[in-house]
Amino acid sequence: MSNSSHRPHGKELLLAALRHEAPGAIPWVPFAGVHAGKLRGFSALEVLQQPEKLLEALLAVNELYDPDGQPVLFDLQVEAEILGCELAWAPFAPPSVVSHPLETRLELPKHLPEPDEGRLPMILETMRKMKEMVGEKTALYGLICGPMTLASHLRGTEIFMDTFDHPDFLEGLIGYCRDVNLRMAELYHQAGMDVIAVVDPVVSQVSPRHFKQYLLKPFTEVFRAIRQMGAYSSFFVCGDATKNLEWMCQTAPDSISVDENIHLPTAREITERYNIVIGGNIPLTTCMLLGTQQDNMKYVVDLLERLGAIDGIDTFKNFILAPGCDMPYDTPVENTVAVVQAVRDPATTRRMLANYESHTFDLEVTLPDYSRLEKPLVEVFTLDSDTCAACGYMLSAARRAVESLNGQVDLVEYKFTRPENVARIKKMGVKNLPSLYINGELKYSSIIPGNRELLEAIRQVMR
Amino acid sequence: MDEKLKAIYQCIVEGDNNGVQEHVRAALESGMDAGTILNEGLIAGMAEVGRLFEEGEYFVPEMLISARAMKSAMAILKPHLTSEQVGFAGRVAIGTVKGDLHDIGKNLVGLMLEGAGFQVIDLGSDVAPEKFVEAAKNNDVDIVAMSALLTTTMVNMKSTIAALEEAGVREKVKVMIGGAPVTEAYARQIGADGYAPDASRAVALAKSLLS
Repeated sequence: MSNSSHRPHGKELLLAALRHEAPGAIPWVPFAGVHAGKLRGFSALEVLQQPEKLLEALLAVNELYDPDGQPVLFDLQVEAEILGCELAWAPFAPPSVVSHPLETRLELPKHLPEPDEGRLPMILETMRKMKEMVGEKTALYGLICGPMTLASHLRGTEIFMDTFDHPDFLEGLIGYCRDVNLRMAELYHQAGMDVIAVVDPVVSQVSPRHFKQYLLKPFTEVFRAIRQMGAYSSFFVCGDATKNLEWMCQTAPDSISVDENIHLPTAREITERYNIVIGGNIPLTTCMLLGTQQDNMKYVVDLLERLGAIDGIDTFKNFILAPGCDMPYDTPVENTVAVVQAVRDPATTRRMLANYESHTFDLEVTLPDYSRLEKPLVEVFTLDSDTCAACGYMLSAARRAVESLNGQVDLVEYKFTRPENVARIKKMGVKNLPSLYINGELKYSSIIPGNRELLEAIRQVMR
Repeated sequence: MDEKLKAIYQCIVEGDNNGVQEHVRAALESGMDAGTILNEGLIAGMAEVGRLFEEGEYFVPEMLISARAMKSAMAILKPHLTSEQVGFAGRVAIGTVKGDLHDIGKNLVGLMLEGAGFQVIDLGSDVAPEKFVEAAKNNDVDIVAMSALLTTTMVNMKSTIAALEEAGVREKVKVMIGGAPVTEAYARQIGADGYAPDASRAVALAKSLLS
């Protein structure tokens, strides 16, 4: 995109943020796990089990969502499956653990995952290919299941009773899970992952006292080992872990990622004291899954404003914009596209939203008489094709098709950044951006058509 | 508060399983009324556990050990309670919705409801809409409570409500929902009667729905 050439972008931007520099822009990491499959029409089962489909879906995320960093696989059951837990698979969600090998036994396992076990061959292969194909421009995240969550997979809900009933056993079990983490981190780092994220949602379900007793030491050891390998680390937690944040910081990861249950500006006051990057926290359901493009842009702009990241961007550091957790499968593509627009150009997006929300806004626009056009008319409505990757692709696709028709078709772009275009977009009833209309009719929204497909659509109105 | 009741209350709050059994036995032997032990010792203790959870002092492990102590105490106390004393706040059929196997939250809500005097019919996890309907029809249920952890399964709350309507039992029951991705707005959108963000507030919600 044109603006990105003089702004830090991609891997360079993300790694600068992880080095606690003020890179002059906000890095963005879409947690597209099963949702990656939606971009190519693949189910969760397909992207979590078939390497070629996973790779295709990840490349679609990389193209459409313009990430600075990107996870390769978001599934906290990979290790558990190798260690003997049975999984129940679902078509549009990650699998769930249905059996816990240690549910009725207080035994400590010894076996550590090998690269040829479970789904590791396909995961490591995809990591290596992603590294080769996009690894220069995008930082890659390898996600491992944190020690408390992995222990709960192995032991079931008995783990919560163990905090009181069997403290020595629990300490041993979490120690074993730490060793599994170290092995997984090593394998993922060797396969080219820049950031190793230790994802532990169960952490939000235990008290600070138990965190200190059972988790402080193993997490610290895992993050230390990741740093020694030469990779960056992240501590992902889901749920309201506010009370554990201070202890999480003391485990010394490079970054922490939280969801909407945590008030991010308050959490940032804690992470700043430790000079740790905080990431988050676009709400998964209310905003990304069920909200509109405006809701998503507004959430991001409001968050950045509260953090002081729009007007003070030159000195702003230690923040990564990300969804709260693994994005829901059915997140509308246009909502993520709106997030990209907002993070790439928050100041302009803030003006766009003000224009959109303005009730006094009363610009007169005249729509073409689509039934009496001299030539077929292709109209591309974008957020801003200079900053929003998907918008840029939609415009390029239209240009390529129209140019190949040698002046037989007219093309016009309307950017949401201009007030008169907002009025036009409202009058036309355009719901999502980018959208492509031919002779006043909606043909494509968010998903970019292939050249042949678009030419055929244009030719149909020429007949 | 009476010293014996205080000790029982304290054992529940601290999740002291052995202690609570000893103190309940001792209180019964001293001739204390079983209804008083239940209401002023056990139920009051669980209410405090709920409050501490809501305030972020207690977490899942603390709540589970308190619920276990409550259960052991009830086993000793029950034979001494008259039918009026058993107390009956209402009957709740609870389950995680179809496709969802995550039942920690649902179990906690069930335990807290029991602790507050509700009779709980646990339908388990991955419960099909027909199974909720059957429970609502056959058990004189006051409340249907549904839980979901996944954004992909929460939609089954809506289909369960539709199934209750279709079977003609929606008017007879109140529907409450909860779980990580669920919100108050979602509850309104799908026509549920209420939403609670945690187990303690689920008890308050259940009480208010039936008041």
